[in-house]
Amino acid sequence: MAVVRSREATVGAFIVSLGLFLEVATGRFLTLDNLANVLLSSAGTGIVALGMTLIILTGGIDVSVGSMLGVTSVAVGYAAAARWGMLPVTLVGLVVGAALGFANGALVAFGGIMPIIATLGTLNILRALTFQLLRAKWISDLPPTLHTLGLGLVLHIPLAAWATAALTLVFFYLTTRRALGRHIYAIGGNAEAARLAGIDLGRATLFIYTVTGVLVGIAALIYVGQTGIVQSNTGVGFELQVIAAVVLGGTSILGGRGSVLGSALGALLVSEIKNGLTLLNISGLAEGMVSGVLILLAVGLDLLRMRGRRT
Amino acid sequence: MRLGDRLIRLISTDRPRFLVLVLVLTFVVFALTTPDFATVYNTFNMTQYGVEIGLLALGETLVIISGGGSIDLSVGSILSLSGVVMGMLTMWVKVNVWLSALLGVLSGGALGALNALLITRVGIPALIVTLGTLYAYASAALVLTNTVPISGLPESFFALGQSQVLRIPLQVLVVFLPVALVLNYALRQTVFGRYLYAVGTNEVAARFAAIDVRAVRFWVFTISGVLAGLAAAVMTSRVASARPDAGTGYELQAITIAVLGGTSIMGGDGTILGTILGVLVITVLSNGLQLAGVHPIWQLGAVGLVLVATVLLNQWLTRRRLRLA
Repeated sequence: MAVVRSREATVGAFIVSLGLFLEVATGRFLTLDNLANVLLSSAGTGIVALGMTLIILTGGIDVSVGSMLGVTSVAVGYAAAARWGMLPVTLVGLVVGAALGFANGALVAFGGIMPIIATLGTLNILRALTFQLLRAKWISDLPPTLHTLGLGLVLHIPLAAWATAALTLVFFYLTTRRALGRHIYAIGGNAEAARLAGIDLGRATLFIYTVTGVLVGIAALIYVGQTGIVQSNTGVGFELQVIAAVVLGGTSILGGRGSVLGSALGALLVSEIKNGLTLLNISGLAEGMVSGVLILLAVGLDLLRMRGRRT
Repeated sequence: MRLGDRLIRLISTDRPRFLVLVLVLTFVVFALTTPDFATVYNTFNMTQYGVEIGLLALGETLVIISGGGSIDLSVGSILSLSGVVMGMLTMWVKVNVWLSALLGVLSGGALGALNALLITRVGIPALIVTLGTLYAYASAALVLTNTVPISGLPESFFALGQSQVLRIPLQVLVVFLPVALVLNYALRQTVFGRYLYAVGTNEVAARFAAIDVRAVRFWVFTISGVLAGLAAAVMTSRVASARPDAGTGYELQAITIAVLGGTSIMGGDGTILGTILGVLVITVLSNGLQLAGVHPIWQLGAVGLVLVATVLLNQWLTRRRLRLA
C-alpha cells in the first residue's frame, strides 16, 4: 500500500510542477476559467479511467471505450433531443453503456477472446454503428438541463468534477474495502492462482467490463452536455486519453498493481497536458505523439524501476 | 458422417480449403448482387489493393507466430509515417524518388526496430508498445505534413503501383509474390523459421534449447516494419501521393487476416498460404462492400465482425477438440 501512495504523490507533484511551468511559460494557466476548463475536460476521462483501472489491473485492456462513448452519446442525444426527462435520459446512457460493456465482457469471459482482440473488434463495429445510427447527420438540438449537467458549477467547481470525485471515492472503497476489489488485484497478480483460490474469474471479468460501460454512459452525459453536439466521430481517440490516464497514474500494465486514486490524478494530468499544448500553441495534431511517448516513458520507467528493486 | 461434423473437421484441420470455400462463396454472392464486381477491371483493382494489406498481414503473421502475446498494432501507422518520409525526401529534399522509396522502406524497418527494442530490451509488453507507437507514429505523420498529402511525385515512380504485366498488377509479380515466397521459405526451411515456431509454441522450452528468444522477437517486429514500409512504397506509387493518414485502420485488417488465415493468437501456429487466402477473402469482402455502396466506415465494421467471429470460432473449435481428445 505504501508503494501505491508514493506513486500518487509523484503524480500530484507532476501536476503541480507542470502547472507552475505553464503559468511561467504562458501566464494564462492559473486563471479561474482555464483551471475550470482543465477540470471539465478531465471529468469524462477520469470517470472512465476508474473502470479502465479495474480492467488493466486484471491484465486486460479495453480500446473500444471511445467507440462506446460514440454509441452511448448517440443514444443519450436522441433521448435528450426527443425531450425525455433527465432521469430517463440518464437511464438510457447507463443501460446502453452497460449493455455494450457487458458484450465486451462476455466476449472475453465466455468467448475466451483476448481482451485486445475482442475490444479491437468492437471498437470498429461500434464506430460503424455510431455512424449508422446518426445516418450522416448530427444531433445538436439539446435541452438546457443537459448543458447544466455538463458545464454547471457548484462552488466555482464544475459539477462534472464533483461527480468524478464522488465516483473515485466509490471505486476507492470498492477496491480497498470490498472482497471484489481484493479479487481484482489477485487476478491481476496471478490469474491461475486466483482461480484455484476459488475466485470466479468469469464473474469478475463480466463485472469490470460492464461497470466500465456504465461509466462510459455517465461520461457520455457529461460529454454531450459539454459539447452540445453528437457527431459520428464523437469519442474518437478517447481510449488513448483513458489508457494514458491509467498508466500515468501508476497502474501497472502487467496487472496487479495500481489504484483508482492514481488514475483519477492521471486523468487530471492528461487534461493538463492537453491544455498545456493549447496554451503553448502546439498543434493539436501532436497530441498522439505526446500521449504515446508519455505512456511508453511511464511504463518503461516503471518496468526499469521494478527490475532495479528486484535485484 | 453428418454434414455438421464434416464441416467442423474441415474448418479445424484444413483451414486453407475452408478459406477457399469462403472466398468462392463471398465472390459469388457479390458477383450476383453487385454490378461491376465480377469484371476484369475490378479484379485487377482488388489485387492492387490486396498487395498493400497483404504485405502488412504477412508481417503480422510472423509477429503473432512468435507468441508471448506478441502483436503489432502499429503497422498502419508505420505505413503512414514511412510513406510521409518517402514523400518528404522526394519532394522537399529532392532525393531521387527510387532512392527515397528505399529509404522509406528502411525507415519502416527503423520504426519497427524501435518497437522491437522497447519490447525486447525494456520489457514493455508488445501490446502497450505498439499501442503507444500506433498513436505516436500516426501523429508524427500528421504533424510533419500538417495533414496535407504530399503529391507531385515523378511519374516514373507510378510504374510500380499502376502498371501491369499480362493483366496482372506489377506489384503482385515484383513485390508481393517474391516476399511471400521468401517468407514461406524462411518459415519452413530455415533455422530462423524453426526458432520462430519454437518460441511461439513454448518460450521456456525454446530458451532452454539455447534459442535467443529476444533476438527472434526483435527480428519479427523489425521485419514487420520493413514490410509496412514496402507497402507504403507500393501505395504511394499507386495513389500517386503520400497521405499522412494512409494506414488508418490497416492494423485491424492485418490482424484479422492473419487470424482468419489460421494464425493462432497464442503463437506457434500460422502459415503464409493461410494468410494469403485470408488476404483474398478480406480484399474481396472490402471491395464488394465498397462497390455495393456501403459507407467505408462499415468496411472496417465488417472486418471487426469477421475478427470477432473468427476468433470465437477458433476458440470454440479448440475447446471442442480438447473435450473430444
